[in-house]
Amino acid sequence: MRELALAARGLRRDLRASDVRALFVALALAVAASTMIGFFLDRLDRGLTRQAGQLLGGDLVLEQGRPFEQALRETLQVAGLTLSDQVDMVSMVSYGDAFQPASLKVVDSVYPHYGEVRVDRGEGTERLAHGPPPGEVWIAPRLALLLEVTVGERVRLGESELTVGGLIEREPDQSAGFANFNPRLMMHLDDLDATELVQDGSRVEFELLAAGPAEAVARVEPLLERLRRDGVEVRDVRRDRPGLGNALERADKYLSLAGLAAVLLAGVAVAMATRRYVDRHLDTAALLRCFGATQRQLARLFALQLLWLALAAAALGAVLGLAGQAALLELLTAFLPLELPPPGWLPLALGVLTALAVLAGFAGPTLLRLKRVSALKVLRRELAPLPASAWLVVAMASLVFGGLLWLYSGDPGLAAALLLGGLVMLAVLWGLGALLLGLVLRLTERLPPGRGDDGRRALRLGGRQLARRRSASLGQLLAFAVTFFAMAMIALVRGDLLTAWQAQLPEDTPNHFAINIQPGERDAFVAALEATTAERTALYPMVRGRITAINGQPPREAVPAEARGDNALRRELNLTWQERLPEGNRLVAGQWFDALDAAGDDWLGAVDARPLTERVPISLEDGLAARFGLALGDTLTFTIGSREIVGEVASLRDLDWDSFRPNFYVIFPPEVLERFGHSYITAFHLDEARSDAVRQLVREFPGVTLLNVDAILAQVRDVLTQVTRAVELVLAFVLLAGVSVLYAALTASRPVRAHESGLLRVFGAGSRLISRVQGAEFAILGLASGLMGALLAELATAALYVAWLDLAPRPHPWLWLVLPLGGALLIGAIGHALSYGLRRQAPAESLALLGEA
Amino acid sequence: MPILQAEGLTKEVDSGERRLTILSGLDLTVFPGESVAILGQSGAGKSTLLGLLAGLDAPTQGHLALFGQALRELDEDGRAALRAGRVGFVFQNFQLLPTLTALENVLLPIELTALSDPAVRARDWLARVGLGERLDHLPKQLSGGEQQRVALARAFVTGAELVFADEPTGNLDPATGARIIDLLFELNREAGTTLVLVTHDQALAQRCGRCLRLEGGRLVAMSREEVEA
Repeated sequence: MRELALAARGLRRDLRASDVRALFVALALAVAASTMIGFFLDRLDRGLTRQAGQLLGGDLVLEQGRPFEQALRETLQVAGLTLSDQVDMVSMVSYGDAFQPASLKVVDSVYPHYGEVRVDRGEGTERLAHGPPPGEVWIAPRLALLLEVTVGERVRLGESELTVGGLIEREPDQSAGFANFNPRLMMHLDDLDATELVQDGSRVEFELLAAGPAEAVARVEPLLERLRRDGVEVRDVRRDRPGLGNALERADKYLSLAGLAAVLLAGVAVAMATRRYVDRHLDTAALLRCFGATQRQLARLFALQLLWLALAAAALGAVLGLAGQAALLELLTAFLPLELPPPGWLPLALGVLTALAVLAGFAGPTLLRLKRVSALKVLRRELAPLPASAWLVVAMASLVFGGLLWLYSGDPGLAAALLLGGLVMLAVLWGLGALLLGLVLRLTERLPPGRGDDGRRALRLGGRQLARRRSASLGQLLAFAVTFFAMAMIALVRGDLLTAWQAQLPEDTPNHFAINIQPGERDAFVAALEATTAERTALYPMVRGRITAINGQPPREAVPAEARGDNALRRELNLTWQERLPEGNRLVAGQWFDALDAAGDDWLGAVDARPLTERVPISLEDGLAARFGLALGDTLTFTIGSREIVGEVASLRDLDWDSFRPNFYVIFPPEVLERFGHSYITAFHLDEARSDAVRQLVREFPGVTLLNVDAILAQVRDVLTQVTRAVELVLAFVLLAGVSVLYAALTASRPVRAHESGLLRVFGAGSRLISRVQGAEFAILGLASGLMGALLAELATAALYVAWLDLAPRPHPWLWLVLPLGGALLIGAIGHALSYGLRRQAPAESLALLGEA
Repeated sequence: MPILQAEGLTKEVDSGERRLTILSGLDLTVFPGESVAILGQSGAGKSTLLGLLAGLDAPTQGHLALFGQALRELDEDGRAALRAGRVGFVFQNFQLLPTLTALENVLLPIELTALSDPAVRARDWLARVGLGERLDHLPKQLSGGEQQRVALARAFVTGAELVFADEPTGNLDPATGARIIDLLFELNREAGTTLVLVTHDQALAQRCGRCLRLEGGRLVAMSREEVEA
């Protein structure tokens, strides 16, 4: 107890020293960064799950062609899930003489599980957490336009008449996508029987939407497996996250990376500050030895002191981290639902653990020196114990950092590889740094001694001082190079991530889809479209076909059990034909049709000469192929109308589902599907202000279906903007951690510089010259470490992009200019500020700092 | 019983290829309450001897006992424990910790012992050396003489039985040095402490009950006349 109190008192006194403050700041920053990012990722993950749940309509969605049984409902409810029933079908709606097919969504009173429906009931847009009441229907504005009906009037649906209660602007659950192109009509389940629309043989989808905690969903996992095998389509929020996938996954990785960079930087700062801390405490330790403290007592005292320091820094860091994640959350409120559970304890524990690990790893070996100090040192200054072996320090720090890497990434292989690569780079840097210092020495010695030229003299003196203090300078050079590298890497990756995101959804991303364009009106439609907008995708022909056999077997038997309920087997697919690989598609296996053609495989002739059941090559989306367990050479039989056609998988394509362009699972070569009834689809961009153009198109081409995806697009853009801001906040943190390294390192080197400037002063140098000498020294240091940092950053980002972030690597030539110059400026500025007091000191005082007066 | 006894004390150090003998077969006996001055030229080995006597270093040969305990039988930690609370030090360069206030510097040795009311004791001793108003000042805010007063308070605060002083006036101007010496002997008399003082200052040595000269690695007793000469 007494020791604890003694240590706490010692620490309180110690906080007056700049090295302890540097140590404290570095640790607090490490904890703040890791807890902030931990908290944030934790909440982001939960937010995404919730959002995915909203888009799906629940955490778990079951779908089949007949009503669900009571037993199944009870099992799900017992597991802790809330259920909501929904029925989907297509039916004609009429108003007066006007008839329109509509996509019916029949909901119960529980709907929606998550989110709100935006609906205009005649008094502007309202956000409602329920569907239409019995007796009412809510319809899409397009349906109102086509039927020429307004709110309050009654439409006929099957055998009943219902009042139009509102116009739907946005449904919370939108993941149905484009499977159904008819305009929406939403009604209450209680009205369904009266319409008599559900008859034997009518095509109706029954959905059971379940909401509840992840554990509840996990509890029914075996049941889900069985349902999948029985052909029920199961959508699970944990697996089927629609929409934002790629971009957020990268952001997630980026944030983890930034967190690690901050921890690494803090570690370097701790290592630098510890050196000075130990140097300073050698005297304390020697005195305490004189006064009778044992080695054990000393070791315990300093360990406890640092433990207090770590705990205090962890507490402050945790508070900062909490505040930081609150700020991040503030940036993201638009897309995270507000009723998030409070931040968990795990990131906090991780933060404290990080502080202790960083302290033990980066400071431990150096601290051991304190224990070994001899009491005789109080009489004979030169008796300081040998410094800890540099290799021991590096080995220990690497071990701890490797452990943290493992902990954060959850991937021991990756952690080991990164660590090994880092150590190799460190050795290379060491050699490079030594070479650079040698070069600086030689260059400054050759510098002609200009008479009365203070600047040149300062440069020569500064360069020599730096180069002759070889091992200390090398240490600083390395620390600064690693710092600049980490800062630059995080900044570079941020820039490239943002560019990639912007490229993914450029300003002119299509926000409308036009479907059901008949061959006869194709040219007229294109002409009308081209008169209104320049941004449109190609026109894709579309033929509806069903997969009826895979490799000659019934599809459900041919695919893995978990794919039996797959959408692609239960519905008609949109098939297209293309001569060339569409934009945004990448071949990942096999060859495109033109290459097959050139190879002499004359399937064209075959199609004309033989019955249509002969094989033609097709190109398959690689995700579908993976789900169905298909490879090149496998065959799929499609039934189109009343005819069958067999496609042999000739190539696999990777495509970007987030691109807002028409995408197809299956592409045929030209001249195979033309004989079947087909229509065309295209996507185009139209500014919001041009809604008149849309109405014009609707009037001119009543048969063409126009879908506005602005809402979805806006949501994706929203998320990207918010995540971008989050990324920037984290970048700021990393930069702060970097500055803390500089501060710690420069603080650590203060006494040596004080001594030098004191001596220079004794020998007759003025403040101006001393200031310039130090300035030159800092500038050379900054320049050299900036160069080394640029080299490291360039190599590391290239490796990262290829191996981890799935981005194309590219060189950053300006980096080689910005980093050395910025480094010289930054280190010059901080160093200058820190040594301001020193320059004002009388030489006797500076020298006394080392006890030599 | 002597408080400090050295017999045949020898200290050799390696200096490159040569082996230097600093002390050779030195004998010294100090009884409680005595004040002993050890004089010597610069480089005679005074600091080395002081380090050995206080158990801060181990001799190459010879027998040494502190408070009747043979130091050879103790390891480094054992020797430290023997010193705790019983031995005080005054150094030429004060050896105050620059980040601690005057009060905290004085507290440092008490906090290693189980003595009660450390802060009260420390304040009391600082008042006795005339720094009762300067408790919260850092060493750099104090003059050299004031710093050495803090060091004196620190040496006596634990009620040490034996105080070693290594050139206590070496860094001070003569007038300040004289005041410090007055204070040192006054405190020494009041507390009944044994004092072993290493110096090259004959005026200071005269104030001690016994004077010895370190010559050729041995101690030679000096007569009154020699000291006053």
